[in-house]
Amino acid sequence: MAAAAAAPVASQAQAVLRKRLCDPAFVHSPLKSSPDTNYSKLKYLVASSVSEACNNSVLLLGPRGCGKGAVLDMVLEDLKKEHPDAISVIRLNGMLHSDDNCAMKDIARQLCLQHELSFSKMASSDDNTEFMIDMLRECGLAHKTVIFILEEFDLFAQGKQRLLYSLLDAMQSLTSQAVVIGMSCRLDADQLLEKRVRSRFSHRKLLFIPSSLDDIQSFRVVSYMDKESGLLSIDCFTNALSCMQRQPKMDSLQDLSILELYVLVCMNRLEDKEQNSYNFNTIMKEYKSIQDAYKTSDKYATTVCFRAFEHLLDRELITFADTKGRNIALEYRPVKLLISSRELAESLKLNTTCPTVLQKLLDRERYM
Amino acid sequence: MDLSATPTRSKSKPRSTPSKTIAASAAAQMDLSTPSKPTTRRKSKSVSSPPSIAPATPSTVRRSRRLLETPTRRLLETPTKDLVETPAKPAPAPTLKRKRAAPSPKTPIQAEPKRQRRLPKKKAHYRKVVYDGGEFAAGDDVYVKRREGAESDEEEPEEEECRVCFHAGGEVMVECDACLGGFHLRCVRPPLRRVPEGDWACPYCEAERAGRAIERPKQPVGKSIRRTAKEKLLSSDLWAARIESLWREPDGTFWAKVRWYTIPEETAAGRQPHNLRRELYRTNDLADIEMETILRHCYVMSPKEFRDASNEGDDVFYCEYEYDVHWHNFKRLADIDDEPETQEDPSDEPYNAGNDYNSDTDEDSEFEEEDGPAKRCSARKNQSHQFAANSRKGRIYGLQKIGIRKIPEHVRCHQKTDLEKAKATLLLATLPKSLPCRDKEMEEISTFVKDAICNDQCLGRCLYIHGVPGTGKTMSVLAVMRRLRSELDSGALRPYCFIEINGLKLASPENIYKVIYEQLSGHRVGWKKALHYLTEHFSDGTKIGKQTSQPIILLIDELDLLLTRNQSVLYNVLDWPTKPNSNLVVIGIANTMDLPEKLLPRISSRMGIQRLCFGPYNYRQLQEIITSRLKGIDAFEDQAIEFASRKVAAMSGDARRALEICRRAAEFADYRIKQFQQSGQAPSSANRGNGVVCMGDVEDAIQEVFQAPHIQVMKNCPKFGKIILAAMVHELYRSGLGEVLFDKLAATVLSWCHVNRELLPGYDTLLKICCKLGESKIVLCEEGTKHKFQKVQLNYPSDDVTFALKESPDLPWLSKYL
Repeated sequence: MAAAAAAPVASQAQAVLRKRLCDPAFVHSPLKSSPDTNYSKLKYLVASSVSEACNNSVLLLGPRGCGKGAVLDMVLEDLKKEHPDAISVIRLNGMLHSDDNCAMKDIARQLCLQHELSFSKMASSDDNTEFMIDMLRECGLAHKTVIFILEEFDLFAQGKQRLLYSLLDAMQSLTSQAVVIGMSCRLDADQLLEKRVRSRFSHRKLLFIPSSLDDIQSFRVVSYMDKESGLLSIDCFTNALSCMQRQPKMDSLQDLSILELYVLVCMNRLEDKEQNSYNFNTIMKEYKSIQDAYKTSDKYATTVCFRAFEHLLDRELITFADTKGRNIALEYRPVKLLISSRELAESLKLNTTCPTVLQKLLDRERYM
Repeated sequence: MDLSATPTRSKSKPRSTPSKTIAASAAAQMDLSTPSKPTTRRKSKSVSSPPSIAPATPSTVRRSRRLLETPTRRLLETPTKDLVETPAKPAPAPTLKRKRAAPSPKTPIQAEPKRQRRLPKKKAHYRKVVYDGGEFAAGDDVYVKRREGAESDEEEPEEEECRVCFHAGGEVMVECDACLGGFHLRCVRPPLRRVPEGDWACPYCEAERAGRAIERPKQPVGKSIRRTAKEKLLSSDLWAARIESLWREPDGTFWAKVRWYTIPEETAAGRQPHNLRRELYRTNDLADIEMETILRHCYVMSPKEFRDASNEGDDVFYCEYEYDVHWHNFKRLADIDDEPETQEDPSDEPYNAGNDYNSDTDEDSEFEEEDGPAKRCSARKNQSHQFAANSRKGRIYGLQKIGIRKIPEHVRCHQKTDLEKAKATLLLATLPKSLPCRDKEMEEISTFVKDAICNDQCLGRCLYIHGVPGTGKTMSVLAVMRRLRSELDSGALRPYCFIEINGLKLASPENIYKVIYEQLSGHRVGWKKALHYLTEHFSDGTKIGKQTSQPIILLIDELDLLLTRNQSVLYNVLDWPTKPNSNLVVIGIANTMDLPEKLLPRISSRMGIQRLCFGPYNYRQLQEIITSRLKGIDAFEDQAIEFASRKVAAMSGDARRALEICRRAAEFADYRIKQFQQSGQAPSSANRGNGVVCMGDVEDAIQEVFQAPHIQVMKNCPKFGKIILAAMVHELYRSGLGEVLFDKLAATVLSWCHVNRELLPGYDTLLKICCKLGESKIVLCEEGTKHKFQKVQLNYPSDDVTFALKESPDLPWLSKYL
């Protein structure tokens, strides 16, 4: 009875937890109060541009997933509430707007969209640049702030950097209200700028340090929640952790057949013999010699071995040593192991079906 | 002549009801969409719709009768001596006129009654007209009568009456800032000894503000209160307008094109709480009026002038915004200081004045037929289908839509603190009043350009300016050109035309031909055709455009960007000045000192030997630049400025960087103070605080600029990340090679973990962490698919890593490997 009643409550709780964890505003909400957080610093910067009519440029640096975008979104949302229709946001992404002309076009498009002007696709890049500068000036006169958000900032810093130059030069020559916010996970993003661009950039940097708790991980934990009791037990956490810390190579090693393991062990032995270049035929020779020496039951024909070899290639546990010689038959192309002998040994140990002789083969040549 | 074209006074004033506005504007046949700011590219052309001989409508009849009554008055009308425009010539664009009119010294007005008699057949445009005993010039602000004969000039009191004793004159009066009433110092209770400093409100207003009811003194019976023109204006019985141009019709009547001012009550938003009492809005509404209706001068001032004006009399008004009568929105007026910056506007040059006149009026006449605001919007939308906002260079449609419905309060009621003022003046975009430390160079540029202009031959000249970024190259040239322009305005120089091009803003180097041709002729063609025309222009003497013989000064910024593979663009551009009658002067700006040496010999020989080097600023100069900007603002400690300038001078000598550092420091200080204010506690620490920028702030700013943030990131790496970094340093010292194989690295990490009883990470985990470090470029690594053959390299000096990881709390054992 009690359990039946608890189940809906538990699923409700799960839903609430999930919602909170997914919502960046909630995750970062403790940031709002303290003055030393990036949130309040960034908000101060952007708000001062809105209220004091100045141009600014700032870089948000930090590894991926540490909340650069989330904090920025929160700041913008707050400011939009405080100053309705005084802020227009232009978003650009270095991945999408790889070349300057198309980025400039997109700026013009977004500006037109936000100010309900009609946009022409046919306009040349010069026109768009001119349009942007005129718009910046007009918006400045109307106390409107234009915020340019450049995601993957480092990708804009390629080539001649015409876009960045035009933007930053407009910042320094117009009395407009604009903020250029660059986001990048490269810490040396500002060093990538050409020197005339760098001179125009204001070198404000906000560093985002990854927080210790990983949001997605806790999200996983919630999904493992025990519906019966409605509590998060330690098992949930361990399960989630193993889910998160997948080791793809180790996992694929676990799934291998005995023959494939033989091939890997042979390759390992060859490498230990300081034989740098070897191919399938060499491996087969080694395999034959092992079979001759130990007389195991796992003796297969060459064609079967070749199938196993191909399978290993597909799983990227081994690879070709060089990219040359694509037209040589597979069995003659030199190959190499992609996993270390330590990993191999570990997986052999874990593998219960593995014949002991294989482990011995690996161990012996290591400790010999 | 149609009736509506006659600018009857009662119709053309924008009223708060929109329908009437439209009727009025339609009647006035004005160029509605032309933005009124002089800085925008399209500007009002003086619409030549001369209402020559008015038909006998009641209003015009009345006016003409009045004209007859006062025929002698107009004898004084004289064109001033400095009028060079002949009557046949169309009036130059108003902006130009105003600009020229402003600095020109007042020339004595000569009476030329003869000229009056032989009436010219065409309209004659004047810059200055003496009418009714007053001297009116384009750009002046005037009162305009609202109704004919409602209140004549005689009623106008010379002086305002005191609100208590109702007598004018006699003593010093003080004006209440709330009700604008005048008071004798002695009439106020308690009496004042001198004019109080700052804002002052009369006792009545103060009482009202406090909520007490108090009776204002009643005027004596039988004496109607006489209102000054200011009061009439503010209670919308008069209008104010700015004269844009003046002309005389063939029939001898004098007309003026005026731009209306409007009072806050008449805007769609109404009077807003932050409006000043004496505030007016400039509209984009223009009308042609007869000089008859003009009453006398008033003075509408920009905020800065208004602040400086202390005792200018009663007819002083404040104007900061422009009001769009169609879209009902507000826009700040561009500062006069900005005007020189926008000089590259092609429309500012006289040669293509009147370019885009046709299309504008067409658009507007269509627009005027609509009557509801909603309809108007749709009409506008339909039009803009034809004219996309970004489509045609130099003709941008729909920009007038950008404006605010209501002026936000935060921009008005804001008493700026010293720090905020400092931040504003340190902005790169604010044009400093003076440019210190580049006098020699500017002198050189100025003599170069003047030589080139004044020399009739104007033979091939070229100046190459080089210097590292942020040393004021472009700024100096532009300052020189501004100075020359004012000389030109005062008539000391031959007219020239100035074209500014930035190499990095061109889509491709060849586009430079297109841009030059467009600026010269106002037409757009492909670059090949433009090149052809330009070559003809410069070498063969078939001139483009009207101003044929004017010398052309071509400023090319970022010259090195014009380099193509065969360097033909640079060759062509530098070849033109050598042609015998090209009249072209080229000023090239670039960063590299040895650009001419890198070029083909035929180009560098054409480039000539005239070079000018802008060296990096030393710390004294930087200090001077900063202090000259911060003059009068007490926000910085002296040592702080010196520290910043020394630091920058030691690194780069880049003035932009020095300014930015100071601004950043001011921001830090401001942020700190604001945080203190928010939390409600007084700034506790004595060395940081008390409202000025101190050394600590500058140090923080310099740190941010010059220090890469990698050390902080390394300190906050995950545990295994730290171990990997330490292992990389270890491997680096062991092998002496920069690169290390991931295989080896992992082996080291695992053995360390084994020895120090850490949890053993898998290879895959290590690889993942390594790739993450690679993403933030702390290490350089190849892609992860190479797995154990991935090569890894530190991106920062190993000492930094050692420093960052020395005392990490979670891995105390790590330091013994470093």
